[in-house]
Amino acid sequence: MKLIDPHIHMTSRTTDDYEAMSAAGIVAVVEPAFWMGQPRTHVGTFEDYFASLVGWERFRASQFGIRHFCTLALNPKEANDPGLVDGVLALLPRWLEKESVVAVGEVGYDDQTPAEDDVFARQLELARAHELPVLVHTPHRDKKRGTERSIALVREARFPEERVLIDHNNEETLPLVLASGCWAAHSIYPETKMDEDRMVALVQRYGAERILINSAADWGISDPLKVAKTADRMRASGIDAAMIEAIVWRNPLAFFAQSGRIDVAALNAEPEIDQRELFAGNSVLRAGRKPFVRR
Amino acid sequence: MAADVSPKLDLLRALLAPRTDVALVTEDERGALLAAFTAASRRVGKAPLVLADADRARVRSAGIDWPLATRVDELWRIAQLVDAASRPDVDALVRDCFRGGDTDERCAVLRALPLLASPERFMALAADACRTSVRTIFEAIACENPFPARYLETLHFDQMVLKALFLEVSLARIIGLDGRRTPELTRMARDYLAERRAAGRAVSDDLTRLAGERS
Repeated sequence: MKLIDPHIHMTSRTTDDYEAMSAAGIVAVVEPAFWMGQPRTHVGTFEDYFASLVGWERFRASQFGIRHFCTLALNPKEANDPGLVDGVLALLPRWLEKESVVAVGEVGYDDQTPAEDDVFARQLELARAHELPVLVHTPHRDKKRGTERSIALVREARFPEERVLIDHNNEETLPLVLASGCWAAHSIYPETKMDEDRMVALVQRYGAERILINSAADWGISDPLKVAKTADRMRASGIDAAMIEAIVWRNPLAFFAQSGRIDVAALNAEPEIDQRELFAGNSVLRAGRKPFVRR
Repeated sequence: MAADVSPKLDLLRALLAPRTDVALVTEDERGALLAAFTAASRRVGKAPLVLADADRARVRSAGIDWPLATRVDELWRIAQLVDAASRPDVDALVRDCFRGGDTDERCAVLRALPLLASPERFMALAADACRTSVRTIFEAIACENPFPARYLETLHFDQMVLKALFLEVSLARIIGLDGRRTPELTRMARDYLAERRAAGRAVSDDLTRLAGERS
């Protein structure tokens, strides 16, 4: 089964992860711009980071047969640095036009400050201007309230809800999101937050409509294979194959294809990995490596 | 318009005309030009650039004896930079397109360099491009591009050749390599050859030839 991980921070992952992901059936990823584990202090740092998301990381993914897309934004945490806000937002009009950018994100709340309100609202306007959907991060602290405020802000801006993906949902927030027109993603972690069994329960209760899963794998304790593992757990729990396929393939593709920047037919036709083939003109081989063929 | 660029620009426009309706941006506002440069892959499209024999002849007689571009959007981006030659800020513009570009945009800048007026102004940009870890970008400057042999300083040219050997990029793709062979480059190749043999690794014909072990 072909899989998409629609939220994964590959800049923090090794080539071992790429190999394992490829072997597990991951065909495409969406890497959101987020924070780097410690604060950035220059606007230029963001510009170089954006450049790496559309450049180096995209190339690195291609070496393992994985199509890489990204989202760009000023994340909620760093929205609280007044010295950065205007400068980083001023970068976005240029960088949001890059062909592999499929949404504005991650935007949203961290501490739920007025500064975060302002930056969230301004980036909804940018998304509107660049005809991109929006990826919303929900806070880990006071999550339910943060989710309510996110939906309220989207409505106040009259931003189309079907073009908004609200991420990191749990049992408390999923019903709120499904009651809106927004999509709902869930990040499956090894020890904290949402796990495979709880996700199975949510799907059994709410179905698959507008539901996505991701690993949100980053620098912390996380697992880039969680999409595959959760799909396996759903299968083992008797969830129907068409529902699983919706959650791990059709839904993420449909949501991000709203950017107009994904060749859906090409991804659907994407064959199994054969490293003997060139991928987009780049050899997937490092000097000296034998090609692997996965059927 | 610099005299040596104008006929080339006419040629590029003529090649683009049947392949896309998207006009080159001629307005002064730099932001508009940068935006159009980026948007080209989506607006002009990524069809391969296939030249008919008559086109090829025209290209050759314009003094261009290397492949212009692999795709139509790349050709469009190259033409946009050549067209910008008369702007007073063209140096900064070219560097900005490179620095702020994704992989395809960077490749287009590198393939445009030999067509720009006074290309030697971009030696540093080209040398920096050779440092990339993105194979496609390296190939855009090192392969089928006359710029390195004509304009790169010896240190940078030699390092580019070594890197091509490391990446198993065929040396036949480096235009003008024979004219830039020096005792020092041969020495580097010999040392690399010895290193690979000591490690029990295979050695390529390119490497043995460059090291002077075969003709």
